[in-house]
Amino acid sequence: MQKRLPLVWLAVPLLLAACSSAPKIVKIPGSEVIHLAGKLEATRFKLSNGLRVIVVEDHSSPTFAYQTWFDVGSKDETPGYTGLAHLFEHMMFKGTRKYPEGKFDETLERAGAENYNASTSQDYTDYTQELPSDKLDMIAEMEADRMVNLVVDEKSFSTEREVVQNERRFRTENSPDGTLYQELFGLAFQKHPYHWPVIGYEEDLARMSAQDAEAFYKAHYAPNHAVVVVAGDVTPQQVHETLQRHYGSIPAVQAQPKALPSEPSQTSTRRKTLKLATQVDKLLVGYRIPSESHEDSPALSLIQSVLTNGKSARLQRALVETGVANGVFSADIDGSDPTLFIFGANLQKGRKAPEAETILRRELKRLATENVGEAELERARNQLSFQFYAALDNNHSRAAFIGRYEVVVGGAEKALDIFQKTLATGPEALRKTANRYFQDQNRTVVIGAPK
Amino acid sequence: MKTRTLSFFILLGLGWTLAAPAADLQFEADDTLPLVYLNIVVRGGAVEDPAGKSGLTNFMGEMLLRGTKVRSKEQLDQELDQMGAHFEEETRGEAVVFRGAVLSHQLERFLPLVNEILTQPAFPESEMKKLKGELISGLLEEQGRDQALAGRHFDEFLFPGHPYGKSVMGKVKDLEGLTSQDVKRQYDSQIRDGRITILASGDSAAIKRLQAWSKTLEQSRPGKEDAPRVAAPKATSGRRLVIVDKPERTQTQILGGEIGFKMDEPDFFDFYVANFVFGGGSFHARLMNEIRTKRGWSYGANASVKFSRQPRSWRFYLFPAAKDTPAALETVLKMVEEWRDRGVTPQELDFAKTSLINGAGFLLNTPRKRIENRIQEITLDLPEGFMKHYADGIARVSLESANASVKAHIHPDQLSILVLGTAKDLKEPLAKAAGVPAEKVQVIDYRKD
Repeated sequence: MQKRLPLVWLAVPLLLAACSSAPKIVKIPGSEVIHLAGKLEATRFKLSNGLRVIVVEDHSSPTFAYQTWFDVGSKDETPGYTGLAHLFEHMMFKGTRKYPEGKFDETLERAGAENYNASTSQDYTDYTQELPSDKLDMIAEMEADRMVNLVVDEKSFSTEREVVQNERRFRTENSPDGTLYQELFGLAFQKHPYHWPVIGYEEDLARMSAQDAEAFYKAHYAPNHAVVVVAGDVTPQQVHETLQRHYGSIPAVQAQPKALPSEPSQTSTRRKTLKLATQVDKLLVGYRIPSESHEDSPALSLIQSVLTNGKSARLQRALVETGVANGVFSADIDGSDPTLFIFGANLQKGRKAPEAETILRRELKRLATENVGEAELERARNQLSFQFYAALDNNHSRAAFIGRYEVVVGGAEKALDIFQKTLATGPEALRKTANRYFQDQNRTVVIGAPK
Repeated sequence: MKTRTLSFFILLGLGWTLAAPAADLQFEADDTLPLVYLNIVVRGGAVEDPAGKSGLTNFMGEMLLRGTKVRSKEQLDQELDQMGAHFEEETRGEAVVFRGAVLSHQLERFLPLVNEILTQPAFPESEMKKLKGELISGLLEEQGRDQALAGRHFDEFLFPGHPYGKSVMGKVKDLEGLTSQDVKRQYDSQIRDGRITILASGDSAAIKRLQAWSKTLEQSRPGKEDAPRVAAPKATSGRRLVIVDKPERTQTQILGGEIGFKMDEPDFFDFYVANFVFGGGSFHARLMNEIRTKRGWSYGANASVKFSRQPRSWRFYLFPAAKDTPAALETVLKMVEEWRDRGVTPQELDFAKTSLINGAGFLLNTPRKRIENRIQEITLDLPEGFMKHYADGIARVSLESANASVKAHIHPDQLSILVLGTAKDLKEPLAKAAGVPAEKVQVIDYRKD
């Protein structure tokens, strides 16, 4: 859930590189270097209060991206207070004693900040900026300040809640796609917090207070729950010295054990049909899959590529080329906890969602019973390789790539390892993985039909 | 501090001149990653769609990707995907841009395929039929997305009868009637050497191969004629209000504006800065401050200028709850009047200029952005290097010139206003808020083609 830009919390998984190498020691105590791809390397170190820092040097322009990723998202909320993580993300722009309301925005905008934004997902919350390279000290000081000194008052909370309620109207109430996503997760998860939408339920937003937001802040915003990624015209030594100066004195907070309820096994297909303000049928299907760190993740990424990456992908041919659907996508959501492999399709005029669902099931059964040929596998791997390099194309996307994998799987090098395994996955493993997860009892179906 | 940042960017901008190794090819080396990005820019675009054939240029561009004289669509798709390559078409009002991206070791295999797509199209009838089905379904699907739907209707309302009022995607009725002859004519007219510029970036080893390839393309599609320019749109008279009626909306989409001006006009930077103060993307802009920060009415509120080869539009946009819509519209209209009458303050101007100048480097800080700037220059008739001197243009703006530009371009009594919402709840209060007699408020069904 972003502060300014369109919803991306259900982002398509980022894909990772083939060429990791063993960490090597550089000057900063305890630091290690991870080779990403091409000429790109990441240097990682940790401050004594637990703040993890990753630096990617690139001096091709006098700019850098600065991103702060917190290991907190909507899954850390409690029933009755859904949407608090996202609403609190909005509050992070409201002010501290040093930067009272409006001053934070003004200072960054005056400095020429680009990609100045924030977003909340089920698993994490991130704050991003790009700045001219002489502003490293400024942004480190400001981010450290709001990590610990935020002032949450009732008046600004109340106004920002109105903004979020309006954002909810935009993304969910008046959006067929947003409504379907809310229903899909609501139906697929009955116990786990992935059940509720990141933006929260209207009645929960209405009941929250500034005190709730402050309690959330104190519990989750601390250096030992965060990762700072700096990519661009900086050096690791410069970043280490600067961040040590601004964050070094912030104490770690006692990490609260996360005892999230595990989701019981699904035993049968769940389905729901909604009448929406749409002129065409919409289909959204989710299959339960494990978390991103599970050993089956590489095969699931490859399956995603075989099914919908590129115009020759299987579901493109089976649904779009046949005139059944207008478009189709799939996403193996990379969750910290077991989540969903999603398929979505907008139907063509006069076609019905159950027809697309039948074709989808047929293709998934084929994947689970027949080995994919070598040429098709090579195609899927090449698509994934391209996506990986494209994800590292600029400072902003590099920082996002690293930050996200640091908080979801515990380190960028683990993500590189996952990708190596993805490229090495053979047809037999792919078939077995498809057979393991694409079963009827794992499936949740939500259909949006015209009123 | 501010000056130092600016000089960094200006120096860097001057150092990033694009190499021009061939007449129609501009290339910028970037060896960070093993990728090559290719852009084939064709001047022309949807404004050349004939009457009753809206969507034709976009249709033609899409059809190029659906089969050649030697390969079916399926074979083309497979060949591109096998390389892990992308090749897509984007039709704009006054350009068609083909965008390719490929792993650099696949470039040798990729370029002949691009050449085949652009020079040997087959326009098979079976694919014509399939594409119509997809595009028409896409237009129907758009009716569920209020923001896109409101934008399309607003263009039509602001530019009645003018090509700028037509959707690039076309209308359902027009798409249904397109023939393969129409598509061939559009192809013959637009995909010509005289209209094409190739811009690429990436792996420096690609340059020689790209040079040779661009010559082949040039020879395959001879023709020196450039794209004609459409007539300038004429302003409508008086303030107007249209409601795009959609049932059960708890939120509305509000767009208001008027015909704008061209990017190369002398007061472009003056207005750009003044608009930044009013609503141009800053959290400190007046619109964001009054509508979002103070009142919590809308998640977003902004004002922007859209450019074309002829004057296009200035517009404001917000999406408040239905219950707040009349008050929000009334507030914004008062703000527009005040902005025009009193201009911006010295403090606001200083903030806007500082912010824009310090951020100007982000227009230039990656090879792909520099290529995108050049595409803008080519498609908007701007001189080469226009975007590189953006910070200089901002620096020259004075309080007097900024405020004079607002008076020249903003006419509150001439605004065209569109609200997408539920008309039965909103017509009377919106008419009052807009100062338009209720009987003159137009109401159109959201499903109107």
